[in-house]
Amino acid sequence: MNQTTSSVSIRGLDLHFGSVKVLTDLDIEIGEGEFLVLLGSSGCGKSTLLNCIAGLLDVSGGEIHIKGRNVTWDEPKDRGIGMVFQSYALYPQMTVRGNLSFGLKQAKVAKSEIESRVKRAAEVLQIEALLERKPAQLSGGQRQRVAIGRALVRDVDVFLFDEPLSNLDAKLRASLRVEIKRLHQQLHNTMIYVTHDQIEAMTLADRIAIMKDGAVQQLGTPHEIYSSPVNRYVAAFIGSPSMNFFSGSLSGDNFVSDTMTLSMDRYAFDGTGRQNGRVELGVRPEHVACDEAARDMPFQVEVDVDVVEPMGSDTQVWGSLQGEEFRFRVDGQSTLKTGDKVLVGIDPARTCLFDMTTELRL
Amino acid sequence: MSHESATQHRSTPLLIATSAFIFIWLIVAAFPFFWTMWGSFKIQADFFSKSDWSNAVTGVNTTARYGHAFTGVAYEGAWVQQDFWRAAVNSLIVTVSVVVISLTFGTLGGYALARSTARYAFALLIVALIFRAMPHITLVSGYLLPFFKLNIWGYLPTAIIVLVAINQPFTLWMLRSFFMNVPRELDESALVDGCTRGQAFCYVIMPVMWPGVITTGLFSFLLAYNDFAVTATILNQHNQTMVPKIASFLGTTQTEGNVMFAVASVVSATAPLFVLVLVFQRNIVSGLTAGAVKG
Ligand SMILES: Nc1ncnc2c1ncn2[C@@H]1O[C@H](COP(=O)(O)OP(=O)(O)OP(=O)(O)O)[C@@H](O)[C@H]1O
Ligand SMILES: [Mg+2]
Repeated sequence: MNQTTSSVSIRGLDLHFGSVKVLTDLDIEIGEGEFLVLLGSSGCGKSTLLNCIAGLLDVSGGEIHIKGRNVTWDEPKDRGIGMVFQSYALYPQMTVRGNLSFGLKQAKVAKSEIESRVKRAAEVLQIEALLERKPAQLSGGQRQRVAIGRALVRDVDVFLFDEPLSNLDAKLRASLRVEIKRLHQQLHNTMIYVTHDQIEAMTLADRIAIMKDGAVQQLGTPHEIYSSPVNRYVAAFIGSPSMNFFSGSLSGDNFVSDTMTLSMDRYAFDGTGRQNGRVELGVRPEHVACDEAARDMPFQVEVDVDVVEPMGSDTQVWGSLQGEEFRFRVDGQSTLKTGDKVLVGIDPARTCLFDMTTELRL
Repeated sequence: MSHESATQHRSTPLLIATSAFIFIWLIVAAFPFFWTMWGSFKIQADFFSKSDWSNAVTGVNTTARYGHAFTGVAYEGAWVQQDFWRAAVNSLIVTVSVVVISLTFGTLGGYALARSTARYAFALLIVALIFRAMPHITLVSGYLLPFFKLNIWGYLPTAIIVLVAINQPFTLWMLRSFFMNVPRELDESALVDGCTRGQAFCYVIMPVMWPGVITTGLFSFLLAYNDFAVTATILNQHNQTMVPKIASFLGTTQTEGNVMFAVASVVSATAPLFVLVLVFQRNIVSGLTAGAVKG
């Protein structure tokens, strides 16, 4: 991506409700036309951040710039944003068509132009048949699509989405995900998108910001976040099933725990660097090789199979390594069953090491 | 099966009991009004007969005097001779003004209080509640002297101001709670859609607030319409509204017929209320924000 100019720039943003600090000293630079996904557990301040950017909350400190203009104290209508609310917030007294065209009428767009934009948005979102209905006559998923449509018809620089696909069924969600991606590629608007869904985050984002307690833990491309998480929180948050952690210590080139000794000479040490002491080793379930494939791995160990969960294309196995839980993924054709013993292999180059006290990546 | 028949067994007597209760309650509640309405077409000798209460039903004396069991003489006396029409016009002016003024300030203030996160917003509401809880007559007696001094005693606008002052806390509370039921996200999405605060209020919030406004307006109307304490003490003879006028009919029982004027004007004053409630009952519905948010 070529992001020479920044579209939205958040500088040292603070927000507190009375004594409750929700956002603290937040810095994010979002490039022109970038798709940024905010990911984080419930209550970490994602919606609050969007509201600050939209101008619906008065910030307690810091600045927000949109398109190089300081908009910290501008009214929402002067910021050039479109927003999809987590709770939809449709206008109950208007039809779907009225909801979609309200913002355009407000902006004094020509009638024919409104007509065609509403039509296009309705097509994309598959709500053409619902245009004359009131929101009360729609299902949750249909309301959500109307809410998305209401933002999409508008011609704005920055779109803010607050979990726009959360109430849809899996199929519609997948198709709308692609639609949003396509729209983004057509429109080149900047999009800030909040979600709980990792797949959405991974597939849509140019960059992902992982948030925790009102602070950004890591801001990077999906690949960076996945393969080199900066700390244990990010590592555990991303990936499903989540990463296995083994506590032990690092001495010289070796990770040593009660159950394993791994030579870390192929590990990159691209975090805080090599440092002896108490550490945790993180291994992604999908990076564990099994049976034949395990024999080529630098480190091998035998694991007891406790529970097998077939998921179609692959199978998730909950094993135990001398009492410690060990999750890994095998091919869907696998014939593993409870009680089996299986040889698994790990490549230290694809693991993560975290300092036990600071939880930062080594 | 057995469960179903059991509920059926229980529900039949219950249905009879509830129906009977409602029927009796209706009669008890409605009887005084129908009795008064019936009696208003008689003369005093019948309706307030000392010899036989059934005269009020049959109208013996009325027939003897006017040749018919029903007569409009009490209405004619009240409306034409005693200028009850003037009181009706005054009542109309007072109630409409009170409703319009209270609703204007009530919607603006209620909206502000509902959306405000400031701590003094709640303090304001508590003060308003205390003000509302005081007996009306305490306010009136406090107002009297200044009104005399300012030489504005006796006029309709003065009564309107006092009634608005009494009514405003209530409308604020009521409208505030209606506004609280309108999700904040509605304002916010209007703001994001390019509205100013004022436009969001007019185009998005007010259209879903009508049931609240109408309900509150109805209560304000009733307060102003039925008020006695304020109108009786503040208005002069010429500017009286209906309720004090009716009271003055009752107060002069020396002359025959005046008490019948009171009866006739009571019926005249009650009839519009029925019409009003019937007209607006459809609008007093909640749930107009259905569909706005998740659910
Ligand atoms: N008006 C408020 N007063 C006090 N605290 C608030 C207020 N609004 C939100 N909070 C707190 O701020 C924090 C962040 O809320 P926010 O709605 O931004 O979470 P979120 O990340 O969007 O969560 P979710 O994924 O569940 O939507 C929460 O802990 C919440 O309790
Ligand atoms: Mg949220």
